[in-house]
Amino acid sequence: MSAAKRNNVKIRGHGETAMVFAHGYGCDQNMWRHVAPAFEGQFRTILFDQVGAGGSDLAAYDAEKYASLSGYADDLAALGEELQLRDAVFVGHSVSAMIGVLASLKSPGLFGKLVLVGPSPRYIDDGDYRGGFTPEQIGELLDFLAANHMGWSAAMAPAIMGNPGQPELGEELTASFCRMDPAIARDFARATFTADNRADLAKVTVPTLILQCSEDIVAPTQVGEYVHRQIRGSRFVQLTATGHCPNLSAPGEVIDAIRAFV
Amino acid sequence: MSAADEDFEDLYQNAPFGYLSMRPDGRLLRVNATLLGWTGHTADQLTDKRFHDLLTAGTRLLYETSYAPLLSMHGAYDEISLDLHTAKGAVLAVTASGRIRRDANGQPLSIRVAFNKSGERRRYERELVEAREQSQALERATQALLKAERQSSELREQFIAVLGHDLRNPLASISGGLRLLQREQPPDRRQLLLDMLQGSVSRMSGLIDNVLDFARGRLGTGIPLNLRSDIALTPVLEQVVSELRTGTPERAIETDFHLNLPVCCDPSRIGQLLSNLLGNALTHGARAKPVRVYADTDGGELTIWVANGGDPILPAALERLFQPFFRGQVKPSQQGLGLGLYIASEIARAHGGTLTATSDRQETRFTFRMPVATR
Repeated sequence: MSAAKRNNVKIRGHGETAMVFAHGYGCDQNMWRHVAPAFEGQFRTILFDQVGAGGSDLAAYDAEKYASLSGYADDLAALGEELQLRDAVFVGHSVSAMIGVLASLKSPGLFGKLVLVGPSPRYIDDGDYRGGFTPEQIGELLDFLAANHMGWSAAMAPAIMGNPGQPELGEELTASFCRMDPAIARDFARATFTADNRADLAKVTVPTLILQCSEDIVAPTQVGEYVHRQIRGSRFVQLTATGHCPNLSAPGEVIDAIRAFV
Repeated sequence: MSAADEDFEDLYQNAPFGYLSMRPDGRLLRVNATLLGWTGHTADQLTDKRFHDLLTAGTRLLYETSYAPLLSMHGAYDEISLDLHTAKGAVLAVTASGRIRRDANGQPLSIRVAFNKSGERRRYERELVEAREQSQALERATQALLKAERQSSELREQFIAVLGHDLRNPLASISGGLRLLQREQPPDRRQLLLDMLQGSVSRMSGLIDNVLDFARGRLGTGIPLNLRSDIALTPVLEQVVSELRTGTPERAIETDFHLNLPVCCDPSRIGQLLSNLLGNALTHGARAKPVRVYADTDGGELTIWVANGGDPILPAALERLFQPFFRGQVKPSQQGLGLGLYIASEIARAHGGTLTATSDRQETRFTFRMPVATR
């Protein structure tokens, strides 16, 4: 199956260089809807859904392959190969920041620059390393996801029911936003929040920009700083945007920071 | 009482649902008395706290990665499941609905979230999930049972086939032979009849062995081995060859044995393996061409191969040769159980060895290999 179909790839914009946007855990490529258009004049923008999320091909889901982030990185590398990407700019949010790092190591030359938005190589504390969560807390999340299939499904309903605040969002576009099969959501959560990719950071050699949110409980500032220290020559930008999703809450600030880097 | 008498503050504070508002960055603005009562927090305790401080760590992660983006994108969510901390450290299961309040320019002013207790619903959901898991487990168990039942019924049919047909043929020839022996016979003719009887008995015995071994293999115990070290295999192999020569005196069997090393194995099983391979070659090989049997222990490995001439086996059939009940294109008189090669491959496996087949215009060859000394 083509990577374009598997990952629901959407290509827009013009430019010699491609800019690949990867969404994080919990949502889909619509996460980038306020950011990606700003780069369409200069770049060929490539958006996609991780398998299991959004409009991806659920038939391609393989619990074994996607039990670790490496499976997602393989998809990204395959996508790059299919689209013949060279030295593309990679913009990854949350868990996809690490997926992009892994893909860049698997396929040297695929990405010329990395933009990591709210990255975390490990969410669970380990010795002196403060990931922000205890193993018990991550266990709590996984238990919650395991036991709350119905609650999870119900949460998806409003996505289809419309959006009182922002009527410009078409229903067809957003019907799948944050919608995920409960079993896949649990698998992806396990792959994401139990991952440890700290050792991969030092292997990164391409220019890297780290965008760190304020008051981000998912990827706290000390984690972003850790990533900055581990990736030689990386640039660290502290955003004033709060929370874990600046691409939605402060797109302007994110756009400015990326533009200054690329 | 009229609508004007309704006290709005009381309508808010003591609503039959929890209600709070927060700034867009998550800092709490107001929390109603109902929610404070449910969670056991006081209004003072929550000053300067953020919304996610009320959530358990698990749902906090979920909220930040899934629900907050949903709210940001749609301005609303409904019926999401969350777990709240209570002041006493307990967990309160709720469903929540949220709305963003915006100013005239569409900028978020605040976020309002209403909560309903959902302990009962959560229990119900959990039971549903458990019920589904149980039914899936049951389904798997049923399928496994069904499969086992099908296998045992196949086995039963095969036993019936053996008793009804495959054993009846040699039995008929024994019966015929005995009738002839009851009359006066010249000594050479008498010897021929006895050899024929012996051949039929061997064939019946081999069939019974194969069926029993197949049943054992299928019932999970595998081919039982009586392993002995330092076995000199040459006499074992020669005995097998001589038995089959007796059964088919018109066929040429050429042997070439170089067994210089003793072997750790079950000699009767290795004999059975050769007997099955040789029987197969005699049945399917071209009658005009000799069947060749070769064995050596070179390189610390026991190799036994049996080769016959004749039409090559088609590649598709070659793949299925070692499956139980596989029968190639054979004449009715040559019908076997289709178990011989399967049993031979199981014997090879039990010895930590391999049994492979190659076939071309020159010859069809089955090769058995195993280490001379097993672990």
